[in-house]
Amino acid sequence: MERVLSKIAEVTSDPYAYVAGLKERKNKKIIGCFPMHVPEEVVHAADLIPVVIWRGNEPVTWGHAHVPPYDCGITRSFVDDAVRGKLGFMDGFVFHIRQCLQAGEFPFIMERHFKPAYQKVLYLPAIYPGDPTRDFALKELESFKTSLEDFTGKMISDDSLKKSIEIYNKNRGLMERVYEIRRAKPEILKAKEVMQIVWSGMLMPKEDHNELLTELIKRMEEKSVKAQRERIKVILVGCLCQTLQFDILDLIEDLGMIVPDDDLYIGSRYFANPVNLNGNPLKALVDRYLTKSPLCPTKGVWDIHWGDEAIKKMRDNDAKGIISVRVKYCPPHTCYYPDFRSKMVEEGVPEVMIEMEHEIISLEGVKTRLQSFAETIGGV
Amino acid sequence: MGIEYKLNRLDTSGVGPLVDRHWRELREAKEKGQKIAWSSGPLFIYAYATPNMASHFMAGYAAYCGGRGMADEVLEAAERYGELRDTCSYHRLHTGMMAIIRKGWPISDERVVLPIPDLLIAGRFCTEMSHYMEGIHRRFGIRAVTIELPVCRKNEDRPRVEKYVTAQVKDILIPAIEEVSGSKFNEENMREIFRKWKETCIIRNKCWEFLKRKPALWTMWDYGVSIAPIFYAMGKPESHEYYVNLLAQLEERAAKNIPAVHPDGEKYRLYWDGWLPWAFLGKFIRMMGPHGAIPVTGRYPWEFFPHPEDINPEADDIVHEWIRLLYTSPNALAYHDGPWGGEEHVEKLLQDYSVDGMLFFSSKTCRLWNLGQQEIIANIERKYGIPGVVIDGDMIDSTMVSEDQIRTRIEALLETIDARRR
Repeated sequence: MERVLSKIAEVTSDPYAYVAGLKERKNKKIIGCFPMHVPEEVVHAADLIPVVIWRGNEPVTWGHAHVPPYDCGITRSFVDDAVRGKLGFMDGFVFHIRQCLQAGEFPFIMERHFKPAYQKVLYLPAIYPGDPTRDFALKELESFKTSLEDFTGKMISDDSLKKSIEIYNKNRGLMERVYEIRRAKPEILKAKEVMQIVWSGMLMPKEDHNELLTELIKRMEEKSVKAQRERIKVILVGCLCQTLQFDILDLIEDLGMIVPDDDLYIGSRYFANPVNLNGNPLKALVDRYLTKSPLCPTKGVWDIHWGDEAIKKMRDNDAKGIISVRVKYCPPHTCYYPDFRSKMVEEGVPEVMIEMEHEIISLEGVKTRLQSFAETIGGV
Repeated sequence: MGIEYKLNRLDTSGVGPLVDRHWRELREAKEKGQKIAWSSGPLFIYAYATPNMASHFMAGYAAYCGGRGMADEVLEAAERYGELRDTCSYHRLHTGMMAIIRKGWPISDERVVLPIPDLLIAGRFCTEMSHYMEGIHRRFGIRAVTIELPVCRKNEDRPRVEKYVTAQVKDILIPAIEEVSGSKFNEENMREIFRKWKETCIIRNKCWEFLKRKPALWTMWDYGVSIAPIFYAMGKPESHEYYVNLLAQLEERAAKNIPAVHPDGEKYRLYWDGWLPWAFLGKFIRMMGPHGAIPVTGRYPWEFFPHPEDINPEADDIVHEWIRLLYTSPNALAYHDGPWGGEEHVEKLLQDYSVDGMLFFSSKTCRLWNLGQQEIIANIERKYGIPGVVIDGDMIDSTMVSEDQIRTRIEALLETIDARRR
């Protein structure tokens, strides 16, 4: 198990070097897909390597000249990486610009400063009732597919798209199994390791990731875990688009809490909902995109409540509370949060919100909040 | 001794009563048995044209509260209700107002309180416009309809997006309006609004010509406070009358050679990008006026259908006509609001209005206009040598406006212009 985890940690500790090396090893072009809703399967079916764009590992410098300081971490960091030339190994990008306003920054800036060989803007609509939305979403994916065909000069057949979907579905199934084992044996993996496992899947070809997961699952199933001490189970919710600082995940555990499950983007949200393989594969990808649960505040779902989903997850896992991780300057999450919080109060669920910025100035404030939360719910 | 510049404001006092009347009528609408729709984005017109329905335009309300100095108190109420500060201040203003109504919290100026709506229409031009409708819907259970209105990044995207938006309006929005209002959507009403509005826009454009003159006869600030008659009070006889009066004033100034800045006209002609700072119009102009600097043009105020010839009140499909104006007309709003279209638009305005420098107002909580601003400044400066700066603030939230920061940046811009003139 340690061997697999160390391989995964290697991928995520320097994603730039890993993806650049991947391009050399596989002799394929790399397409960066901006989180959270680009259907990577279409890129995969074009015989390209899709990787999910990540929040960088350095403070923003040159990027300040291109985006305002009140854009979220991944926006500023990605633009910074791009203008500093750190993403030279990427051959193209796909941006879904309807999930939040800030995503609209990228195509313009990239075209000016990066001049990618391939760039596609998707206008995937929010989930509103009616045929026009479904029809438009399908047309968007058809245009996405055509743009990739134009770029590679090769047609994407339905069969190749279905094959890619199968590989992605297998990955989703394997990730679900990792989470199942973790739910049963929460001590088996540290929260940081779980995030690394999910994140590595966003960077690695899914075939390679599936191999790693298969081995990891085998080891996880074999391993018995004995709890060192009674820990308080908590569920992490939010942190859309980007990785949560590993220091914060460690801090949560150092304070006597443990995470049996989560509702994070670089977490269970990423692999939720397999694509139904019957029929037209693009329509199936649209169906997955238009699935309302897990609720994503970027998609305008009104008839179910994010708070209810989080509470269910907490209760299913016999957890004692919820930690909301809100990325500073993330409007979809920030606009939803007051209703989420109200639901927690209404249902008597202990919840605390921590705010995450790209550059952590001090962990002390976060620590104080989490410490007091841990004491409230568990008397640690 | 330097020249003592003094602003000679145009008389725009006629707009106050017109705006007050609009909001008063909305407050009284329910008592008269009308249904009320709150609309964000440009789709308010469909409710506006419907009999038995009064229409509240959310950005207009924000401008109204900001301009009347009522915003801070409502924003505080929103915070008390749980809203976080880095969300859109227009969003917080509306959730704050709803909280005041629902909780019965006292408010020092009753004019901020509007009746509870019967329908929420979110034109999802900016993604956050739907978030606040969603919030109000979740909290108060009011029926909501959201229509996707993507801002187009490329020219070639416009026709397919237009088709999608038209389908949503016809299949979803109009049936919802008809159901809630209990009355049939009236195409003739919409045509009549367009006819009157077109006439008003033609007069408004004649007024704009006086901003192109050197020295200018009025300022963009004067125009900023005059937007309501063009937008959310469109098609009303008093809107037309307002612009007739404005034009008469300008013609008189032209005849008598009275510039907008005493004694001999402006020293710096500025371009203003982004929203207008509704609650701080006076504060901002006082930082420019004494230097002889005035804004003479800007993308946002010029987005309200600068080409009346594009408006066709007799179009076969009048429902579609509004969407066509937004998307595929030559000066479509949904393209010029995006960075690509925006840059072309800015370049044209700079030339048409002989601009010396650019102020890009970047709202800390509304990112719609911020997109690409720094890129546009850099590119235009490279191409034309016209300097520009970003100033950060907010349209209505005073906690986000730092006077010193803004003054320093404005002065820096003026010094740069001076240096380049030498």
